[in-house]
Formats: sequence, C-alpha cells, structure tokens
Amino acid sequence: MTLPSWTREPLVHFLILGVGLFAFFAWKGEPVDPASRTIAISQEDRARIALTWERTMQRPPTDAELDTLTETWLREEILYREALRLGLDRDDAVVRKRLSNKMDFLASSIAETTQPTDTTLRDWLDSNPQRFADDTKYSFDQLYFSEKGDAEAALGRLANADDWVGLGQSIDLPVSSEGASSQAVEKQFGIAFFEALQSIEDTGGWSGPVASGFGWHLVRLRERQVGAVPAFEDIRDRVENDWRLTTLEQRKQDAYQLLRGAYEVTVEK
Amino acid sequence: MKKILGIVVLVAVLAAAIWWLFIRHDPVAKAEDVAEAEATVAIAAYPQQVLWGDTHLHTDNSIDAFGFGTRLGPDAALKFARGEKVMATTGMEAQLARPLDFLVIADHSDALGSTKRLYNAPRFMIQDETLLRWYDMMHESPEQSQLAIAELITAASNGTLPESLTDPEAQEENNRTVWTDHLATLDKYYEPGKFTPIAGYEWTLMPGGNNLHRVVMYRDGYDRTSQILPAPALDGDLTALFDHMDAYEESTGGKVLAIPHNSNLSNGLMFELTQADGGPMTAETARRRAMREPVVEATQIKGDSESHPFLSPNDEFAGYGDVGWEIGNLSLTAYKEDDQLAGEYLREALKRGLSIEQQTGANPYKFGMIGSTDSHTSLATGDEDNFFGKHTGNEPNGERANAEQNLGTRIGRFGWNYLAGGYAAVWAKANTRAEIFDAMMRREVYATTGPRMTVRFFGGFDFGETDFTGDWVSGAYKGGVPMGGELSDEGKAPQFIVSALKDPDGAHLDRVQIVKGWITADGTTREKVFDVVWSDMDTRRSVGGKLPAVGNTVIREEATYTNDIGAPQLQTVWTDPEYRAGQNAFYYVRVLEIPTPRWTLFDAVRFGIELSEEAQKYAVGQERAYTSPIWIGSEPAAP
Repeated sequence: MTLPSWTREPLVHFLILGVGLFAFFAWKGEPVDPASRTIAISQEDRARIALTWERTMQRPPTDAELDTLTETWLREEILYREALRLGLDRDDAVVRKRLSNKMDFLASSIAETTQPTDTTLRDWLDSNPQRFADDTKYSFDQLYFSEKGDAEAALGRLANADDWVGLGQSIDLPVSSEGASSQAVEKQFGIAFFEALQSIEDTGGWSGPVASGFGWHLVRLRERQVGAVPAFEDIRDRVENDWRLTTLEQRKQDAYQLLRGAYEVTVEK
Repeated sequence: MKKILGIVVLVAVLAAAIWWLFIRHDPVAKAEDVAEAEATVAIAAYPQQVLWGDTHLHTDNSIDAFGFGTRLGPDAALKFARGEKVMATTGMEAQLARPLDFLVIADHSDALGSTKRLYNAPRFMIQDETLLRWYDMMHESPEQSQLAIAELITAASNGTLPESLTDPEAQEENNRTVWTDHLATLDKYYEPGKFTPIAGYEWTLMPGGNNLHRVVMYRDGYDRTSQILPAPALDGDLTALFDHMDAYEESTGGKVLAIPHNSNLSNGLMFELTQADGGPMTAETARRRAMREPVVEATQIKGDSESHPFLSPNDEFAGYGDVGWEIGNLSLTAYKEDDQLAGEYLREALKRGLSIEQQTGANPYKFGMIGSTDSHTSLATGDEDNFFGKHTGNEPNGERANAEQNLGTRIGRFGWNYLAGGYAAVWAKANTRAEIFDAMMRREVYATTGPRMTVRFFGGFDFGETDFTGDWVSGAYKGGVPMGGELSDEGKAPQFIVSALKDPDGAHLDRVQIVKGWITADGTTREKVFDVVWSDMDTRRSVGGKLPAVGNTVIREEATYTNDIGAPQLQTVWTDPEYRAGQNAFYYVRVLEIPTPRWTLFDAVRFGIELSEEAQKYAVGQERAYTSPIWIGSEPAAP
C-alpha cells in the first residue's frame, strides 16, 4: 500500500503536530493560562523564585524576603497578563525581536549541544569531501611577455631552444614553480593566470599565450598533483565544526520554511 | 509525568553543559599540537614571498562593534579571512576573492565582550539606569542600537561610563572568560605555513576624544597569552601600557609589540615633541617608545595618516584620505588647529624623530608602516570593490556613501570620507606567528591602501648595476639592508634598489617615489619627494621639475578602468643626488597606482544612486603603498 502524496507534505505534519499539542494542552490544561484570572502559586513556584534570588545573592532568602519576592513576581505576572489582554505585545519591536530570537534558538539548540557520533561525522566527510581536500599542487614553468605578439613569436622558437629562460622578458615572478598550491599561484600570478593554468590538460608541453594582469605568458605545466582528502582522524575537529555550523543553519532554515509554508503572504508594491 | 520529563531535560542539559565546559576543547593540549605543527614549517634564509594580513579587525566581542549590530564573532572573522564564505550580519553572503595570510583580531580591551553580555543578559539583572536604557535601545532597532553606542563612545571619552563597565574587578571575571575563549579559538584556526591567527587586542586610550589607540599584538600562543589579561585603557596612560607589556615579557618569556593608529584623529597628541606631561622628552622615554612601537598603522578605513598638504605643500600627492578626518579629533568633540597637524602625520613624525634624536641621542619615532582595516564587521575587506563598511550600520546599502556618519555628533563627516581600508604587507621568512612578529620588530613591512602590490626596497652603498634577473634579491640582502633597516653614514651617498610589481588582479603602476626627510646641523628638518621611476619614461618627461600626470581611464558611469596606461612593474637603482655627509636622514618608498574608482563609485553604480557633489570630487583615487623607511645616520653617541 502506498500512502497518498498529501501525507508527505511538511504542512500536514505541522498541522498534525499542532492538533496533537492542542489536544494535549486541552486535556492537561496549560500550566499558565495568560487569559485566566486565577493565579495559584505552588511550592515549586516559590522554590524557583527563591533559587533565582539565591543565584544573585549567594544565600537563600529569608521568609520575609521570599514573601516580598513572591509579591513582586505576582505583580509582574498580573501586569503581564493584563498587558497581553490589552494587546500590548503587538507592534512592540522588543517583544517581537525577542520572541523571534527564541524561535530561532529553539530550532537550533539541539544541534548546538548534541555531540555528533563518529559515524555522523564520517558520513559528513564522505558526502562533502571537496570541503576538506588538500589543495591541488602545480609544478610549472612560465615566460613573461608584455606584448601578445612577442609571446606568439617566441612560442615557435621554444621547441628547439637551449636557453628557454632567455626567451622571456624580465619580471619579478619565478620562472619555475615547484608544487605551488592553488592559493599560492593565485596570489602570485593573479586569478586570470590561475584559471588558465587550471584548464591546461596536457602536461609537458608549452602552451599559450595566456593573459594575466601583468601581460602575457607562455606556460609549461609539468605536474599537477590533485589534493587528497586527509584521514578522518586527522581532521575530526574541522569536520565537526563544519557539520555543526551547517546543521545549525539548516535547522533554523528548515524550521522557518515549515512555518513560512503555512502562511499566505502578499506584498503590495 | 511532568516531573520525569523535567528530570530527563535536566540531566540532558547538565550533560551538555559538562561536555561544553570541560570536554569540548582542551586549549592546553591544542596549544601543544600547534607548537608541533609550527616546528615543521621551513624557515627561508631570507623573505621570499610577501604575506598579506589585517592587524586590526573587530568582532562582536568589541563593545562598539556589537552595539553597531555585528553578530559575527571571531570564528566567522577567521573563516572569512582564510577564504571561506560567511553570512554577513545584514544577511548578505560574503567571501574574499583572495584570502589573507594572517589576521590579528583586535577587540577593545575595555569592557571586552560586555555589550554582547549586556544584550544577552536578562533585563531584570541590569541595575544601572544608563545600562538599562542602552539595553532597551539595543533591542529596539538597529538605529537605536547605533545611537546607544554613539552615547557609549562619548561617555567613554568623557570618562562617564557606568561603573560596572570600567570597574576592573567587575570586569576581570568576564574578561578572563572572553579572552581565554578567544585565544583557544585562534589556535583552532592556526595552520602554520598557511594561515596565522595572531593574539592581540585594541588598547583604547582617548583623553577628551583625542585618539591615542594602539593595537597590541603578541608573538605567542595560548600557553603564554592566557597567563595575562588585556590591559584596560580608559583610565590609563601610555606608561601603564608599556609597563603591562614589560610585565608580560618578564613573567612569561613571551614577546609583545604595540601599533599606534589613527594618529590623524589625535589632535596632535600621537607624536609629540615633548613628554606627555609637557617636559622635554628624555632619551629613556624615546628609547622605550621606539622599542615598544616598531610599526605604525599608516592607512585604514578612518583615513590615511602618511602626509598632509599643510605640512608638505610641495608634494602634489600628499593628503590622500585626509578629507573629513582632518577637521577634528575622533569624537569630533574638539576641532583641529593647524599647528596640531605636525603631531598627527607620519612623515612629520619621522622628521620629529630625527630632531629628538639630535637633542637626546635617541629617536622615539623610528617606525615602519603598515595598513589595516579597523573594520567593525568581522570582515577584513580592504578593496574598493568589496568595501563592507566601517561597521554593520554601513554594510553595503544605497544610502551609506552620502549619509552623515560621524559616530558622536553625526555632523561634519560623511560616509564617503571612509576609505575602503588597507592591508599590512609583511616580509616574513615563513607564515608563522614568530616570523611575522619578528618581521614587524625589524620593520620589514609596508602599508598599502588595499591593492596587493609587491614592493622590495633595499639600501646600501655599493650595489653597482642590478639587472633584476636571477637571484638579485639574495644579492641585495647580502649587499645592503631591507626596508626598516639602518645604514651607518660613511661619508658616501647611499644607493637604493626599488622594485614594485603591480597587484596581479589590480591596476597598473603610475610611478615610484622616494620620500626623503633629513635634519640640518642647526636642527631644521626638511623633506623632498623624488620621482625615481615611472611608466613610459621615454615619452613622459619631466616639465619644469614636474612629471606629467599618468592619465585617467576611469569610466565613471560604469565604475571601471583599463590598464592601457601605467606599467605592470617599475624597478630602478637610485643614488641620492643631494646627499650631505653627516646629515641624519630617512628614505621611504611611495608607489602610486594609476587612477581607479573608489568604493563610492562602485556603490553609485550598484545601487543606482547619485553621489553628492563633494563625494563625486573624491570618487576616483590613486591607491598606493608606503614602505618602512631606511635610516642613515652616524652612530649616536652613548649617553
């Protein structure tokens, strides 16, 4: 039996969950109903008030102090309920911001404190290897020319030149680079040159002219070592950081999208 | 049922808390790993490749940055600097096209992390009325939050901050947590040889709003830096900072230096001829200053401090990035008098150094130059086309260029007065904390206003002809001293090798200049700017001692330029034609790019806005590099 497609809609899950919560609270009764004008302060409530006070003052309150604290709490609670009744929470930037922050926090709090298992993290590494791979390394020679025509002319003479270094013009860049990382090549030669180097397929021969911010280059790529993904044990911290950050963002985003989906929004322009 | 649920939740929270506090990271063990990794990095015989970094970045641990709205912390700052994509506070994705090699996060030591703590505190815990008002403002809206911080900065410069923000005992507990957490974070991102986070903080002394701020920077890792706390500044003086630095070095065996910045907002106090109390400067004070402050920040978002037209009337390129900042001090609570400018601009300070040396035998202002951002967004952007704003209130948006921006009074200074920020270029022998620090101590560094041009500068007496091929750099190191070095006067004119290579992804170069400052026997200081090599030298000849302008290819409507003018590389060997034996002097290099669009022009195109008339006047600029000087002098007589 296959379930009808509507059962897979997140909106339906959300509604079912909502109905469930509603039913639960209808049965149990909400611990604090802001609309009610009955307030019962239990032993536990008083213990909680006392504890908060104790944390600040580093000693438990006396009975008299606790009575005063209870009064203060009661006053705040009554004013809070009446404020809700008057709708003072609406259009209040502070309340609005505070509550929406709380929703974000709810969504991400689990990801913030869970300790992911090694299996989770290994899976994460396996499905995102490119984020952890070492740099590709390039070994290459290059000759510099300020004019494209000079570079083209030199290309023909390179094949049987003994002193190939002497064919290029002087510039303060290395003629030969050994095992340079992508980042190092890009830093020294610029983005345009690096992209051209990346796209060279055959190693060993001269090609070009290739443009850079300096002018023109003839290039001989001798070796390209593709970066390996380090062993999980060596980069566990990095994987965990990455997993946590991504999961956190994802949870917030998912939770929001779920709620957003239940709204119909029109914007007049 | 409710109780069981409660117990389950409580246990889970406790477990999470224990893990968070004790197991999550063990900074000491991590520091040992770091030391091991550091030891495997190869140290070159002499600096091979210049390293790029920012020594002055603020994150949400800075009292003002958080208040301005930044919600990115040190983690995001480090990720961004090493090239990862992050989400800026205002919701835009941000990534550096070219990563940095090192980063100093320099959050304000005063009330470190305290606006963040205030913001996150339960409201009922806040007793102080002022704090409570700021708390509400910060929660109300970004605009109100910025107002709250403006009030806070004014209160700081007036010395009227609420006691709980300045009371050292109240701060200590909090500072220790923020500081040690921060240090542990730095170690997490340290990849010796590749990316180097460096420990530091900003020491924010500003009597009456006159900016005497320093970035304090450490050579060491967690094991040493966690033994101390950043020095508070608000009630202190410079001697107290130097004492704090001495004490650190004595008790831990580590090393620390300080980098003054925004001398342009000090109303003449940064480089005084006298002691702070008005008496004549002693040799001891001068020596201590030079030893503690080997490097000064010459350029950053809040303006450029290299030169001012009032002080250098014959320098047609003086005054880059001065407009707006020159009218008064940091908080604009006091306007500036012309006679205060001499204590603010670096070229003049270098000259003052020579004159104090002549009188006392010691030069307090023998410093190198770097650039940095002073960004308060956690994003170390330094280029014109990626300016992410001074703080979160002016992250990219259509209004920021024309808007009034001054923090305190909101008058007199505008968005377009901000520069896009600079970078520090360091000739280190490897990308490690120790090597970067040591390069700064020997002043082998230079400043740029953002572009990453490669500049070499050597001084000596006998370089002969250099053809700039093969291994010329190692020859120059053998035959002379690099930027930041000192030559002893042997009665022979000094020679200088300069090589400037353009930013591979930037603009061509217009010219290379050598700025000379010297002192005559009667104690008068002088300066002169020499054009030593420029593009198209065959056809572009000096007319009446003045080189014609390089031209301008900027298309304002598109915020673009072309490299049809200028040169990719400028190199020369230059001998001082006006050398006089026995005159102490300094020489530094200024490299100018061809004109390019400033960030304001990029904004105008991106957001389709009209720049104000004043802003348009400054919408195109010639970006530049300043090297550390090379000094020549007779050995000072022993006091």
